[in-house]
Amino acid sequence: MIEIKSLSLQLGPFSLNDVNLAVDDKEYFVILGPTGAGKTVIIECIAGLHSLRKGEIWVDGNNVTSLPPEKRKIGYLPQDYALFPFLDVKENIMFGLREKDFPKKEMKGKVEPLAGLLGISHLLNRHVQTLSGGEKQRVALARALAISPKILLLDEPLSSLDVRTSKYLRLELRRFHEELGVTTIHVTHNLMEAEEMADRIAILDMGRLEQVGTPDEVFFYPRTETVSEFIGTPNILDCEHYKTLGHGLMEAVCGGISIILPYQGNGVKKIAFFPRDIHVSINKPIGPEVKYLRGVVVKIEPFSSLVRLRVKAGENILLAELPGDTFQSMDIGVGQEVFLVLKMRTLRIHC
Amino acid sequence: MISTSHVVRRVSGERAFRAATLSALALLSLFFTGIVVSLAAYTDWDTLFSTLVSREILFAIKLSVVTATITTLLSVTIAIPVAYAISQTEFPGKSIVDTILDLPIVISPIALGAALLVFFNTPIGAGIENNVLRFVFEVPGIVLAQFTVVSALAVRLLKSTFDSIDPRYEQVGRTLGCSKLRVFFRVTFPLARNGLITSGILTWARALGEFGATVTLVGATEMKTETLPIAIFLSLAGADIEKAVAVIFILITIAAVALITLRKISGKAYPI
Repeated sequence: MIEIKSLSLQLGPFSLNDVNLAVDDKEYFVILGPTGAGKTVIIECIAGLHSLRKGEIWVDGNNVTSLPPEKRKIGYLPQDYALFPFLDVKENIMFGLREKDFPKKEMKGKVEPLAGLLGISHLLNRHVQTLSGGEKQRVALARALAISPKILLLDEPLSSLDVRTSKYLRLELRRFHEELGVTTIHVTHNLMEAEEMADRIAILDMGRLEQVGTPDEVFFYPRTETVSEFIGTPNILDCEHYKTLGHGLMEAVCGGISIILPYQGNGVKKIAFFPRDIHVSINKPIGPEVKYLRGVVVKIEPFSSLVRLRVKAGENILLAELPGDTFQSMDIGVGQEVFLVLKMRTLRIHC
Repeated sequence: MISTSHVVRRVSGERAFRAATLSALALLSLFFTGIVVSLAAYTDWDTLFSTLVSREILFAIKLSVVTATITTLLSVTIAIPVAYAISQTEFPGKSIVDTILDLPIVISPIALGAALLVFFNTPIGAGIENNVLRFVFEVPGIVLAQFTVVSALAVRLLKSTFDSIDPRYEQVGRTLGCSKLRVFFRVTFPLARNGLITSGILTWARALGEFGATVTLVGATEMKTETLPIAIFLSLAGADIEKAVAVIFILITIAAVALITLRKISGKAYPI
């Protein structure tokens, strides 16, 4: 277990303010936040790369605050991987083992299974400068894991990869985690990546911890305005009751409006959808009434190149976003009745 | 819309700029080539070869190579920790220390030699001369004079090497089990290898050609403190132009070899 107690740090203009955090054994924990939030600094503190003026770091019940990095048994994967360019892949992986005077005869037995697990056995004799981004990431991961760390720290491990490789490696990282069972802290600014990978997420902004919880807790119960904004300001509706419609569908009533959604089995507590996923129309859409919601515009706000409408539908005030030029062409005013269409596949349901 | 005349004006402007820069390049290259060609034209090749194998010139070559090598080893050995400290450590007054270390690069070598001469006339300097090692008018003085001039160059070159190394490498090395000292030898040193070689070669070449501080501190005594630049000076003073030209050729050859080696090394640099 990792415990961060009252961590405060000033690094030039940037500061961490009284961060308290506990990460369970074998947990995959994601620190999520915008650029400059202080995510990297937190994991650098855990790795022992900064001297702390205030606060403590405990690992498995031991205070490691004053231990140098080499005594902490931490695997660290920096954002740019920092593979040693003067060593080949195998020597990079063995770097930490050599430092620990690991018996030479046993090194092969350590490196080869790890390379097999990470799918890099064919790369062992390659020079690191000839590797692709995804290969570099796996080699850096193997290097970090070779020392059998108690904790694995991943600093934006997927941000420099193309979308396809990044998606694939998300699954792979989770698989390695399941197989090795190393407590992992992963830093990212990508909400989707965090939700897909994390057992729990901590949201950090301007050096302050805003919320810690499971992906669903953070999404459906954002504790602060900052968290809500960071996750895309979703409309979150509390549902009072529901009924099964057949054909794999159900109907939930949330704040006086009726929403059709795919059958969930266990019932529905909350439904969320993003402002960008609401289609706004001034004309009544063609089709059965259950496929759209009626509402009245209560507020219009310009928001960057978009226009945000606050629409009262039932007991809810829903937030919808329209491109500026679309809004201009529709001639919508406060007090006007509008029709809102929700795409079923964009609904997020909390049971 | 862009008019045709605008495009024509832009193209002719680019051509004029290109012509101006290439002309400057050609002029300077011709200037240096002209100097070498004039030396070659002046040289009587039989005299050149006989001069090259003369006792005096062989002595000058040996003295220059030995003193420049010792100076380089001393300079680089001291410059490594100094440059690392300046590059990687923050401390009060760092910019003042940095400026002091740069002074020998911009001060005239004769002034530095004179300053050393003055130092050995102080009680501390005289004490060193009388009880530790004699420098004034002696061979160790050549090394000291060269060191005074070139050590700052070694520091400057190595500092830029250490500046260019991403601190992430050291951080990763630390988490993999290296102490601060171990990480320097296992990570920083290999990353700085090309910079170290470059610094060594340039320092050595600069020490080999050092004249002002050396002649001021140790004088120009034939077959005693006669380095290659001092050999040129003595030959010119004795109106032996052919001997001077032969020595100049030796220095040019050594400089060319050093520069070619540097180019080879810089082509193999790691992207750090």
